[in-house]
Amino acid sequence: MTRIAFMLVAVVTVAGVVAFMAPAHGRADGEAAPIFVTTIPPGYRDWRLISVASEEGSLDDIRAVLGNDAGIKAHREGKLPFPEGTIIVRIAWSFDSSRENNDIFCKLNPASCGHPQSYVAGPPKNGVQFMVKDSKKYASTGGWGFAQFDDGKPADEGVLKTCYPCHQAIKARDFVFTRYAP
Amino acid sequence: MTRIAFLLVAVAAVTGVVASMAPASGHADDEAVPIFGIKIPPGYRDWRLISVAHEEGNLHSFAAVLGNDVAIKAYREGKLPYPDGTIIAALHYSHVPSEENDKVFGNPQSFVPGPPTNVQFMVKDSKKYASTGGWGFAHFNKDGKPGDEALLKTCSPCHAKASRDFVFTRYAP
Repeated sequence: MTRIAFMLVAVVTVAGVVAFMAPAHGRADGEAAPIFVTTIPPGYRDWRLISVASEEGSLDDIRAVLGNDAGIKAHREGKLPFPEGTIIVRIAWSFDSSRENNDIFCKLNPASCGHPQSYVAGPPKNGVQFMVKDSKKYASTGGWGFAQFDDGKPADEGVLKTCYPCHQAIKARDFVFTRYAP
Repeated sequence: MTRIAFLLVAVAAVTGVVASMAPASGHADDEAVPIFGIKIPPGYRDWRLISVAHEEGNLHSFAAVLGNDVAIKAYREGKLPYPDGTIIAALHYSHVPSEENDKVFGNPQSFVPGPPTNVQFMVKDSKKYASTGGWGFAHFNKDGKPGDEALLKTCSPCHAKASRDFVFTRYAP
């Protein structure tokens, strides 16, 4: 019992440390450098659903927003600000017309032929993005660390610098755009 | 070790019993659908994500498709047919523009779920539902009321055309 409990604690601790490790970026001008999340939080694809969305224009994707346990609990309780340890992930896929579905709709309902109606998630697109709440570590960016991974590789600092200025627009909901879909 | 294993089995068994326990009757959201006799599976909103979708036309909806543990495992392993015990949930919402997001982007581009419209389930039980490909179908309106017989009769003929064991949705990695 003790050994198993210890192992569990050890595993959780290591996972936590890996998830929250964010090397500081050196800056010459003395200004407080924003810190970003540089490691993909393990197991995020198993997290529960917060909501879905789609974006037109250059993003042209369909997306799902998932939360870790702290993220789901806070979203459901509607409590702001989000507690320490909250992680929210945005996964996105190409917004693809489904020929398979449309063909079937057309066979069943000839009136629908020529009016494609079904859109599904295609290949992954626009990276995977995370928001990690740690109000001390990420104090200079509203308590949130931001991350984007493209094919598993962290996006460059230029990309990450655009996150917080945009999320500032939604400061009233602790910088989180997505609302919980019941 | 043995004790822990036993406990785990016991917990899993109890969870299973609770999950399949269908409350006797009473509230609207306890009602079973006609034909297939399926009630809303408890805890489905906590299931993991299979994929997302959008339908235009009359439906004009967002869908989030979730699966219970059996479903997620089968999807990830890519094995067909889906094993007995698989349950797939389609949570449907209206599809609305997000004024809030669009204002920030400076472009009308962002769509989000509006209020829920209905939730649908596919339950695999190859014996019980042998006449409909091994799948039982269920539809519940936003108030928890089950779809009627006429509606439920439309599920199987359409799903029979899906090439992957009656299931349209593919797993989104």
